[in-house]
Amino acid sequence: MSPMVLAGALALGLGAAPALAAEAMPVSIAIAPAVANSNSPRMGDRLNFRTTIRNDGTAPVGGVIGWVSLLRTDRGHEQPIDLEDWSAHKAITIPSLAPGEAVATDWPFRLIESGTYRVVVSAATRDGAALATSPFADFTVRAKPVVESQRVLPVALGLPLLIGAGMIVTARRR
Amino acid sequence: MTAAGLIARKEAGELLLDLRGQAWLLAMAIALSAFGLLLIGSAELSLLDNAQVVYDMTGIVTALGALLAMVVGVDGIGGERERGSLVPLLLTPASRGGILLGKIGGVAAAWAVMLLLAAPYIWAVGSTGQNLWDGMVVVLLLGTPMVLGFGLLGLGLGARLESSRAALLAGLIALLVAASPLLIGPSLRQSALGRVFDAVNPFSAAVNAYDAVIIDSQSLLAQVLPFGQTLLWLALTLWLARAAFHRVSR
Repeated sequence: MSPMVLAGALALGLGAAPALAAEAMPVSIAIAPAVANSNSPRMGDRLNFRTTIRNDGTAPVGGVIGWVSLLRTDRGHEQPIDLEDWSAHKAITIPSLAPGEAVATDWPFRLIESGTYRVVVSAATRDGAALATSPFADFTVRAKPVVESQRVLPVALGLPLLIGAGMIVTARRR
Repeated sequence: MTAAGLIARKEAGELLLDLRGQAWLLAMAIALSAFGLLLIGSAELSLLDNAQVVYDMTGIVTALGALLAMVVGVDGIGGERERGSLVPLLLTPASRGGILLGKIGGVAAAWAVMLLLAAPYIWAVGSTGQNLWDGMVVVLLLGTPMVLGFGLLGLGLGARLESSRAALLAGLIALLVAASPLLIGPSLRQSALGRVFDAVNPFSAAVNAYDAVIIDSQSLLAQVLPFGQTLLWLALTLWLARAAFHRVSR
């Protein structure tokens, strides 16, 4: 199940069980960009965000699932981003988290497209009904001139076809 | 028209008007198209710096040009021998030097066609225009002696070895070894062995100059040393081809 679908399912679940939603989530999530991150990243660069998922409650928490979401926030382009090309590390599971225990996780990203983005890491537990989310971590990706498909496609498809047509003409003349 | 001109025209005609020659050009175009489509189809490759992409394309064009020159070179003598047309050619009033010059003309025509074929591809991937023209000029200046050298090596091997298949195999192995800098980046060739290899390898000289001009934006005039290396390679292979061709008797 993708993180977005999982988030939606969890949201629906919360709506159907208001009594459970009132339960406090004992897990908190802190997020910070890695020190090595560029201040002005551009397409193709890599960024890393570190989260700390902590059990702030008094009882152990089992089956913690943490996942990362990326949102584009440019005006007119507001949308959740499919992490397919951006990151191979999309979720973690923590079998058990003792009271006061914290687990640090790095979330690496390869910056595929320019724009303004927000990263958020969410966590749910096996038995709990509430959802924990980190604060947003915002970043902007600068554009970089890369290969343009509208220039490459006509040449890449046209020239072999042209030579192939020439071969057909040559063969017919014989 | 001189004998050399006639032979060069025949060789060039075979590449452009003959089905076999056109099939080679189609194969070259498909290889360049495949790389172009890979660049826009792969998220990782599509994020490469534009100058890096132009450099990669020029390297591939040069390797394909050297391959085409090698095939044309081997076929120019070894192929003639196997088709039984070498001895009649040697018995014509044309001098050995004239025949060899004509064959070299055929190799040069193949490289010229390859450059014409490659120009749209280099333009297509060079979307920013950064060092695009300088890139094309450096391919013309350094790629030409390097590629012609491989064509001459093919001519020499075709003349020296009885079997054109053996000549082609030997030539392809030499080309494969020489073209390894395309796969092994400059940082991986910093060992003593790598530096010696770069110093004697004309392919390294050419691609290092491409790198300097296209990626590092260095002046074309600063490429005198690699240009000299490729000229030396051309002179050496010309000597080898002449020596081998003058010994041909059948």
